[in-house]
Amino acid sequence: MRRITLRGLLARKLRLALTALAIVLGVTFVSGTLVLGDTLNRTLGDLVGSVYQHVSFEIRGKAAFNEKTPQGVTGTADRKPVPESIAAEVRRLPGVADVFGSVGGYAQFVAPDGSSIDDGAGKNLGFAYDPNSQLSPFRLVAGRAPTTAHDVVIDKATATKYHFALGDPIRVLLPDGQSTFTITGIVTFGDSNTLAGDTLAGFEQTTAQALFNSRGHYDSINVLAAPGADNVQLQEAISRLLPTGVEVVSGQAVANELTDAVDNELSFLSTALLIFALISLFVGGFTIFNTFTITVGQRTRELALLRVVGASRRQLMRSVLGEAALTGLAASLIGLGLGVLAALGLKALLGAFGISLPSAPLVFQARTAIVAIAVGVGVTVVSAIVPARRAVRVPPVAALVEHSEDQPAATPRRRIVAGVVLGLVGLVALIAGVSGANLTLVGVGSGAMLVARALLARLVARPLADVLGRPLRMFGTPGKLGRQNSMRNPGRTAQTAAALMIGIGLVSTIAVLGASLSTSAADQVDSAVTADYLVTSSGGFSRSVPATVSGLPGVTATTAVYRGQFEFGNSLSSLAAVTPAGLARTVNLHMVDGSGTPALAAGRLLVDASTASSDHLHVGSVVPVRFAQTGAGTMTVGGIYKTNPLIGSFVTGEQFFLAHFDTPLPSGVLVKVTRGTPGFQARLNRRLAAYPNLTIQTRAQFESQQKASINQLLGLIYVLLALAVMIALIGIVNTLMLSVFERTREIGLLRAVGMRRGQVRAMVRSESVIVALFGAVLGVVVGTGIGLALASALRNNGVTNLSVPVPSLIAFVILSALLGLLAATWPARRAANLDVLAAIASQ
Amino acid sequence: MVATQQAATLPAARAVELTKVYGTGDAAVRALDGVSLELERGHFTAVMGPSGSGKSTLMHCMAGLDRPTAGHAFIGEHELDGLDDADLTDLRRDRIGFVFQSFNLVPMLTAGENITLPADLAGASVEREWFDALVRQLGIVDRLEHRPSELSGGQQQRVACARALIGRPELIFADEPTGNLDSNTSTEVLGFLRDAVSEHGQSIVMVTHDPLAAAYADRVVFLADGSVAGEIRSPSADAVLAQMKKLGR
Ligand SMILES: Nc1ncnc2c1ncn2[C@@H]1O[C@H](COP(=O)(O)OP(=O)(O)O)[C@@H](O)[C@H]1O
Ligand SMILES: [Mg+2]
Repeated sequence: MRRITLRGLLARKLRLALTALAIVLGVTFVSGTLVLGDTLNRTLGDLVGSVYQHVSFEIRGKAAFNEKTPQGVTGTADRKPVPESIAAEVRRLPGVADVFGSVGGYAQFVAPDGSSIDDGAGKNLGFAYDPNSQLSPFRLVAGRAPTTAHDVVIDKATATKYHFALGDPIRVLLPDGQSTFTITGIVTFGDSNTLAGDTLAGFEQTTAQALFNSRGHYDSINVLAAPGADNVQLQEAISRLLPTGVEVVSGQAVANELTDAVDNELSFLSTALLIFALISLFVGGFTIFNTFTITVGQRTRELALLRVVGASRRQLMRSVLGEAALTGLAASLIGLGLGVLAALGLKALLGAFGISLPSAPLVFQARTAIVAIAVGVGVTVVSAIVPARRAVRVPPVAALVEHSEDQPAATPRRRIVAGVVLGLVGLVALIAGVSGANLTLVGVGSGAMLVARALLARLVARPLADVLGRPLRMFGTPGKLGRQNSMRNPGRTAQTAAALMIGIGLVSTIAVLGASLSTSAADQVDSAVTADYLVTSSGGFSRSVPATVSGLPGVTATTAVYRGQFEFGNSLSSLAAVTPAGLARTVNLHMVDGSGTPALAAGRLLVDASTASSDHLHVGSVVPVRFAQTGAGTMTVGGIYKTNPLIGSFVTGEQFFLAHFDTPLPSGVLVKVTRGTPGFQARLNRRLAAYPNLTIQTRAQFESQQKASINQLLGLIYVLLALAVMIALIGIVNTLMLSVFERTREIGLLRAVGMRRGQVRAMVRSESVIVALFGAVLGVVVGTGIGLALASALRNNGVTNLSVPVPSLIAFVILSALLGLLAATWPARRAANLDVLAAIASQ
Repeated sequence: MVATQQAATLPAARAVELTKVYGTGDAAVRALDGVSLELERGHFTAVMGPSGSGKSTLMHCMAGLDRPTAGHAFIGEHELDGLDDADLTDLRRDRIGFVFQSFNLVPMLTAGENITLPADLAGASVEREWFDALVRQLGIVDRLEHRPSELSGGQQQRVACARALIGRPELIFADEPTGNLDSNTSTEVLGFLRDAVSEHGQSIVMVTHDPLAAAYADRVVFLADGSVAGEIRSPSADAVLAQMKKLGR
C-alpha cells in the first residue's frame, strides 16, 4: 500500500506541486515571522544583557504605579529621581568599586542641512556619559569622553550616516531650547552602533544634570562592587542608606525587567504577523481540500479497483492521508527554508512602512522548525480528511460503472444544517457583540459566519455564476462555454472561490474599518479643533516653543498641550493638560456639564461623557488619583465634555500638570490667528526654524496627516493580506488545471470541430474570471458586513463614524477579476496546447 | 459552399503517397506506408481493414488532425501541408464534418447548441430551413433542448450527424460511427448517412469494422499494414466479408 501511495504521488506531481505551493507560502510566512521574532528578541535581549553585565546594583526610585507602563530601555519616567548625595554615601561603603549617577532626557541632533535627525520609531536620548567602561552601557570607539559643558559624544550610527567627525560642531535640540556642542567622541551601545534606532547624545555628568533639569539629583545610580565583595551584604548595606521611596536592585534584575519589556513590545508585533501567516495557511487549507476532493473524484475508478482487489477502507484512508502528509512535509521543509528569506523580507516591509528594527544575524531556533512543520503538515492532513473519507466510501462496484464528475452532487443536508446553524450562531454573536461593543464576540461571530459562508457557498454558486457569467456571452461561444463550465460543478466552484472569498472578505473588512477610522479621525479634528495652526512633533519639544509662537504678530490665542500618565482610580490613564487662557479660541470641548476654562484654571479635572457615565461621575465628584512624582491625592471633577478620542478621557490645566510631573515637555501648540493674516504660516515657519523637529500644519493639513497615518497602516495590512489572496489564486490555478485535465476529451472534441486555440484560452479564462468574481463579490459583501460590525463595536475606542469605501470595494472586485484572468494564464495555455489527436484518441 | 468549376471536377479529398511513422529507431511503427487515395465528390466511401491497419491514422492525416511524415493530403483544392494550426482549425470548422465513435458532444451544451457549435465558433449563422429539415429527418426535434447526458446513444449519434451535415462540408469523416450502437440504431444512422449522400450530394468517408455497415457505401477501400489492399465498388456485405477474410482477419 505504501508503494501505491508513493506511485500516486509521483503520478500527480504537477497537481501536488501546485497544492504544495499554497502550503509552502503559508509555512514560509509562519517561519519567517518566527525567525524575525526570535532574531529581534535575541538582539535586544543580548544588548540589554551585555549592557548590564558588570553593573552590580542599581539604586532608583520605587515604581510609582503598580501597573506596568511601557518604558524604553533607559526610560525612568515613572520613577522619582534619587538625591545626588546618596551616590557619595554609597561610594564610601566598603566593597564598592565605583558609583555613577545617570541622568537622561530629550536631546535631538540637527543634521548639517538643518533638518532634525529622527530615524524611524527611535527616541532621541540624551544622557550623562559615564567614563567607567565597566558601569557604562556605552563604549567609546573614537575620541574621548566629554569633559566640559561644550562636549558631546554621539552614537556611531548617527555619525556614520550624517558624516559627523571628531571635532565637528553639532546642534542639539534640548528641553529648554538648543545649543551647539563639539563632538569629542563616538560611542556604541554595547556592541551595537545604536540602541534600537534611538539616537544617543552623551554629556558630561553635571552638564547633563543642568540640561535635563536634574540639578541635585540623578535618575538612578549604578554601583560596581569590588572584586570579591559579598553582594548580599553589600546590597543590605546600601539599602540601609536609602531614604523611603528609593530601592536598590541587582543589575541582573534590571536586565531581566528590560528584557521582559522588550519581549512584551515585540510579542505584539510577532503575534500580529503570525495572525496574518495563519490566515494564509487557512486559505491554503481550502486549496488542499479542493485538490484532494477533485483528485479523489478523478481516481474513483482506481480506488474502486483497489477495493475490488481487496484493499481495506483503512488502507485507502491511510493511502490518501499518507499522500497528504508527505505533500505537507515536503512543502513545510521548503517553506522553512524560504522562511529565512521571508524574515528579511518582512523586516524590509515593516521598514518600508516606518517600523524600523535593529539589524542582526538571523536566529533560527529548533522551535521554528517544529512549529512550521507541525502547522504545515497539520493543515494539509486536516484538509485532506474529508476527501479521504469520501475516498474510502467509494464502493467496489464503482470500478465497473461509467463515472462522471459532472453530476453535481446535491449539497448534503448535514452541511446545510451545519452552515445555517453556524451562520445563525455567528449572527447572534455578531449582534450581541456590536450592541455590547464587545470585540471578542464580534470576532467569534465573524469567524463563525466566514465558515458558514464557506459551507453554504455552493448553494448560491450556480445562480450567482449564472448571473456573473452573463456578460461574458458577448465573447461568443467561448464565453458561453466558460460560464457553463463554472456552473457544471457548483461544489467545486464554491470551494475554489471560498479561499478568495476569505481573502477578499478580510481585505474588505479592513477597508471598511479603515475608512471608518479615517472619517472618524477627520470628524474628531473638525469637531474639537478650532485653532488655525497646529505645532506638533513626534516626541515632546522644547518648553520655549509656546512663548515663541505667542509672540508672533497676528496670533490671538495659543494653547500648549501636554500629555502624561496618571493613575485614575486603580487604572493607569493618559492625562492631557492645556493652558486655560487661549483654550476657548483653539479647542471646542463641547462641554456637557460644568465649566471648561475656569475649571481648568482652578486645577480641576475634566472628564469625557463616556467615562463620566461608566464611572458615575458628575461635576463636584472627588476622585482618587496618583502621580509618579507627587504620589496619591484627589482631584475634583470640574466639568464633563463630549467624548472625543482625539482629546482623550481626562484633561486638566497646565499649572496643575506642571506641579505634578517632572519636567514635562509640551507635545503640541494650538495657534489661533486673526482673520486675514496673509503669509502667517511662512512667518511661523521662519520663527520656528530653530526647532527643526517641529511639524507646523494648518488644521486641514493636520487632518489629512491623521488620515494618512491610518492609510499607511492599512497599506501594511493589505500587503500582509495580499499573500492570502495570492494563495487563493493558486487555488484557482490548481482547480482550473485539474478541470482542464479532466476535460481533455471535451477540449479535443472542440478543437476537432473547429475551436481555435485562442477560443480555447478565452473559454478557460472566462471560467476563471467567473470563479474569481464569485469569490470577490461574496467576499466584499460579507467583509463589508463584518467591517461595519467591528467598526460599531469599536465606537468607544475612537471609531465614531461608519463609512463604506465603495470605490475601493468596487476596485477589489475588478482587481479580482483581473487576477482571475492572470490565474487562468497557465491552465488556458495548457488547454490550448492539448494535442487534439491524443485527446480524441483517449476515447 | 460555393463549388467553383474547377473544384467540382476535383475529388472531395485526396491522399498522395501518405506515410506516417510513429516513434523512431527500433520502436518505429509505420502506420501508413505510402497510401494514395481519391475520395470522389458526392460519394459514400467506406474504409475497412484489420485492427491496427492504419484506418484512423489515415483519417486523421486526411482531416487535418494530424500531420503525415511524408506525402500530401488535400481537402478539395486545399493542400493541408501548407496550413498552420489556425488555418487547419478553420478548415476543419468550415469544410469538414466529424462523427466519432463516442464522446461526440460537448456535455455542457444542449443538443441544439451542439449542432450549431461549428457555426457559432465561426460567428456565422446556420441556414434555418436546413437546420429544421435535418432535425426533422433525424427525429430529434423534441430533443434539441436536452443535454447529451439526457440522450440515448443513438440520439447522441444522430445529433453528431446533424452537426456534421449542417454546414454542408466538403467531406464528412466518420470513424466507426456505429461502433457503440445496437443493430437497429446502427441501421437508422447508416440509412441517414446514405440519404445525405444520395439526396443532397454530401461526400462521406467512414471507417468501419462491420461488413453490413460497409454495404451502405458506394465503394469500400481496404487497408492492410498501412497500405491500400484493394477496393470494391457497389459492395455487398458478402463481398466485403470475403475480402476481409482474405486480408486475414
Ligand atoms: N500515437 C501513436 N503512437 C504510436 N503508435 C501509434 C499511434 N497511433 C497509432 N499507432 C500505431 O499505428 C498503427 C495504426 O493505428 P490506427 O491507425 O489506430 O489503426 P486502426 O484505426 O486501423 O485500428 C497501429 O500499429 C498503432 O499501434
Ligand atoms: Mg481506429
